Amino acid sequence: MEILQYDFMIRAFIAGVFIAILASSLGMFVVVRRYSMLSDALAHISLLGVAFGFLFSISTTWSAMVTAVTISWLIEYLRRNYNIYSDSLLAIFLTGSLSLAIIVISLSHSFNVSLFNYLFGSIVAVSANDIYVISSFGILSVLLITNFYQKLLFVSFDEDVAFTTGINTSFLNYLLVSLVAITIGLSIKIVGALLIGALMVIPVISAMQYGKSFLKTAILAVIFSISSVVLGLIISFYVSIPSGATIVVMALLIFISSLFKNKIFR
Amino acid sequence: MPIKFMDYVIEVKNLNYKTYIEDISFNIKRGDYIAIIGPNGGGKSTLIRLVLGLIVPTSGKVKLFGKDRVNFKNNSKIGYVPQGVTKNDSSFPITVYEVIKLGFAYKSSLFSSTSIEDRAYMEFIIDKVGLTDLKNRLISQLSGGQRQRVMIARALISKPDILILDEPNTGVDTNSQKIFYDFLKELNQKDNITILFITHDLEVIVGDVTKVLCINRSLLSYEDKNEVLQCSTMSELYGIDAHVMHHNH
Repeated sequence: MEILQYDFMIRAFIAGVFIAILASSLGMFVVVRRYSMLSDALAHISLLGVAFGFLFSISTTWSAMVTAVTISWLIEYLRRNYNIYSDSLLAIFLTGSLSLAIIVISLSHSFNVSLFNYLFGSIVAVSANDIYVISSFGILSVLLITNFYQKLLFVSFDEDVAFTTGINTSFLNYLLVSLVAITIGLSIKIVGALLIGALMVIPVISAMQYGKSFLKTAILAVIFSISSVVLGLIISFYVSIPSGATIVVMALLIFISSLFKNKIFR
Repeated sequence: MPIKFMDYVIEVKNLNYKTYIEDISFNIKRGDYIAIIGPNGGGKSTLIRLVLGLIVPTSGKVKLFGKDRVNFKNNSKIGYVPQGVTKNDSSFPITVYEVIKLGFAYKSSLFSSTSIEDRAYMEFIIDKVGLTDLKNRLISQLSGGQRQRVMIARALISKPDILILDEPNTGVDTNSQKIFYDFLKELNQKDNITILFITHDLEVIVGDVTKVLCINRSLLSYEDKNEVLQCSTMSELYGIDAHVMHHNH
């Protein structure tokens, strides 16, 4: 296949599959907790991290991840300790961090095509070093999700009851937002800050149309997510369009067909 | 014969929480079957949340099995069924089996899957609450009474010594309520599980429970059910002129 003769495409496929697995499996816990806005807010926050990367001439993948994780802890702390609606809190951080990102990028004089890539994703943007970072964090995150699967499910289903059984709900909440923040930091180059939220939510909602158990829904969401990423990358390569947008359109097509299936076979 | 210290499974001393709970003290013995009654907003759910450690008291102490609540780590000894179990999120894609298995979540990890003994006990409990035919159904496809049984099964999985239920019969039809109370009675009498539950249903108080805890922010009475069901206590509790009528049906 011609597409696999290019190193950057092989890197994009490897990174894309890791991101697809992480985004959809974490998306399961985020969606059922009605916390979908978290991914969008953290995506915009990671743009601020990218801006810091430009300003200080450091790896934008690392700066995006560190910024997203740090601010995700702040959001979780405020959510737990202050009487502020979760969605309002996310809206504040989403707009606030985007504004700061624009100011920092202006100061670093990097307001050019490279920012466009971070907003909408680019398949040529993934370096060999990024692959090491994405695969290392990807494997670690999958192990953590598997290890805490039952506890994360319990906290998502009923946090109070989970707490009364001795589960450290506070730790799990911080762990979940940290993993979401890391995934977004890793994804921003290939899917883009404006679109990664969609990859966390749409495959999950599509899988939920099939009305199976939580585990089967999660597996289906991962399959839908990987399919969207692989198809999106192939199409974006041949048609020369932004990878992130194409991946999200593929996810949307799967969602629409899931809705039809639900309507016809219910 | 004097009661030994360890006979108390729950001890509450001079408990205060903001303006919702005022200086409440009581003890619960192993094997008690206790109803908490009181008006809406009277602090019943807050009291349960304080006992469970979900909120921290402004002052006063809660002891479980003789240990301070903050130092108590053997949480599997307590089963909790919260308010509104019959109204779970209908979009949440989770089966009956998955919900009940959550009762083992506290000891699950990558390196310890559910043991054969745990799985066998799970099947036993599922059968005991009559959910064998429904175990692969999504929770959203069940009736209010069936969901209530799922939540009780999940609470029973850890073999608790105490079962705490917050208005478990809200949204459940009359027939299912009767089956439910018979089941609670069996758990209390055959399995010797201490039961503490909030209810507005005075009929069940007449029938099964051993003691009634009446609260309206402060503790109004904590006595034998027959003492509580006096017109004067009911009037004080609900702030109206109450006339209690007893009949044989």
